[in-house]
Amino acid sequence: MQTLLGAGLALLALLLAWGASAVSSEAGYGGVGPNFLPWLVSAALLVCALLCVLHALTGGLRDLQAGSGAERAHWQGFLWVSAALLLNALLITTLGFILSCALCFVLSVRGFKSAEGQLDLRLRAWVKDGLIGVAVAAPVFWMFTQLLAINLPGLTRTGWL
Amino acid sequence: METLDLLMHGFATAATPVNLLWAFVGCMIGTAVGVLPGIGPAVAVAMLLPITVKVEATASMIFFAGIYYGAMYGGSTTAILLNTPGEAGSMVTAMEGNKMARNGRAGAALATAAIGSFVAGSIATVLVTFFAPLVARHAVRLGPPEYFMLMVLAFTTVSAVLGKSLLRGMVALLVGLALGLIGIDQITGQARYTAGMPELMDGIEVVLIAVGLFAVGEALYSVMYEGQTEETQNRLTSTHMTRQEWRRSWPAWLRATAIGFPFGTVPAGGSEIPTFLSYATEKKLSRNPQEFGTTGAIEGVAGPEAANNAAVTATLIPLLTLGIPTSNTTAILLGAFQNYGIQPGPQLFDSNAALVWALIASMYIGNVMLLILNLPLVGLWVKLLNIPKPYLYAGILVFSTLGVYGMRQSAFDLLLLYAIGLLGVLMRRFDFPAAPVVVGMILGPLAETQMRNAVAIGEGKWTIFLERPGSLGLIVVVLAVLLLPRLLRRRAARTAG
Repeated sequence: MQTLLGAGLALLALLLAWGASAVSSEAGYGGVGPNFLPWLVSAALLVCALLCVLHALTGGLRDLQAGSGAERAHWQGFLWVSAALLLNALLITTLGFILSCALCFVLSVRGFKSAEGQLDLRLRAWVKDGLIGVAVAAPVFWMFTQLLAINLPGLTRTGWL
Repeated sequence: METLDLLMHGFATAATPVNLLWAFVGCMIGTAVGVLPGIGPAVAVAMLLPITVKVEATASMIFFAGIYYGAMYGGSTTAILLNTPGEAGSMVTAMEGNKMARNGRAGAALATAAIGSFVAGSIATVLVTFFAPLVARHAVRLGPPEYFMLMVLAFTTVSAVLGKSLLRGMVALLVGLALGLIGIDQITGQARYTAGMPELMDGIEVVLIAVGLFAVGEALYSVMYEGQTEETQNRLTSTHMTRQEWRRSWPAWLRATAIGFPFGTVPAGGSEIPTFLSYATEKKLSRNPQEFGTTGAIEGVAGPEAANNAAVTATLIPLLTLGIPTSNTTAILLGAFQNYGIQPGPQLFDSNAALVWALIASMYIGNVMLLILNLPLVGLWVKLLNIPKPYLYAGILVFSTLGVYGMRQSAFDLLLLYAIGLLGVLMRRFDFPAAPVVVGMILGPLAETQMRNAVAIGEGKWTIFLERPGSLGLIVVVLAVLLLPRLLRRRAARTAG
């Protein structure tokens, strides 16, 4: 896993280098162009990535404090929360801030409940959490759009209904 | 005295009802954020950054500063009662304070933490008042080479000192620098790493990275790995300190302020080192060393908590006078300044004097407010801990959406937010520090500009960095930060072996 991580970093470094090659070296009279730092960062990252791989192969990353919590990831919870965030990103402009965020709220609650081993898929729980989600999102929407005049998508073009 | 005069003007601005209200709300939110696990001050400020679109600069700076300090106060509450330090600075508080709480002295621990924070915060604010203008006056003379080297120093210290591994710190810093590269080059106006996507032309918002790494990353990490962990809460007792506890606390507060403040002023970042130093000092000086780590010694809470606050307050000196953020929160604050088109730096004290002095004055006011909010009301804050974890994190995700979407009204940013959240999970799992990412991202473009200006001044010659005594001195410091710990360790190993 750690080796994979190092390899991923190396890949990222190569990607950066590939990107750097597309940046012009037009330097003006300063002698250092806009492509200097990209090259520097990709080279340094490549060196660090290779060191990470080397460390991973020879006894693992040094002085590693393993992340807290369980050994194995709880993928079901991860999927719920991912769905919450991604659906929110996809629907926010069509559903409006309040409904989209309420949906995000409901789905993340499902995820965390499932991580606690209490996944509740009954209609009652969905409705209850949905209402809490609206109760959280609606005042926020109202405050930011009305008091601070910040644009958040409403349900219709003219605002919220 | 000129400084006092300016400070009085500051008080006049900060004490208007509207600004007092902003300070109050900031302190409230900050304390709540500190108490609630899962979000720190950096994320709270980041999530609320959209208000910079509408609220006037002084008011929002006062508001953000209130959140910053409030979180420090609130953080000790959770550390003592739950043994879950919200941020690195309260780690030591958690060690000793939790032991005290388990022995039924939670109240005294909370009191010494709150009063100690007040004492240290107030003294540090006085020091900021008098030192910051002084630093600014000298900093005006710094040229691009010195500025660049200062930023390199900030990079080095933030990645080498904070984490346990220099290599992982460097990787985090480089990732941050790479993220900072995205967008239009500030000098030639060339697009870099945009892949032709118009959404990336303006670069990635620092807010997005901070909220993604800290809030979304934390939520994803928590659902994946920490679902089963049950937290036990210690009972809250009355926040009353005995005469003996007072006598043991106050020297610790003062010593810790003296330790914490200098660490905040240098671009070394973080409050871990001063809190640990203060803890070690108290342990050495204490007449009751047997209490440390067993029943809990009050000095072990008083000192680190005060050191933490002094350091945090002092971070405003490099931020305001040099424009160099030394913590995640100051990095976000720098972003807030930039949203107003204000560049913190030596000129800030001249060009935006009213704002700076109102901000400093509000720190005095905020410290008093926090003491009042925290001592009698601590029971109320603790009730926040009854919010079930699923609802708490779901709420945090909704607020993250608000913060990120509210900045640019772009759904693309929300997808990016998710991706950065995944990165945050990986970093947390493999013990990569997150602070260098944020600092690298925000200082990277600034450092690049200074570097290119410096080389231009040197007519293309890199020796410019060695010719000027200021920048040469800074190079020596950077090398010392990188090499000294290694050499010392090697020497210690040799004498031991």
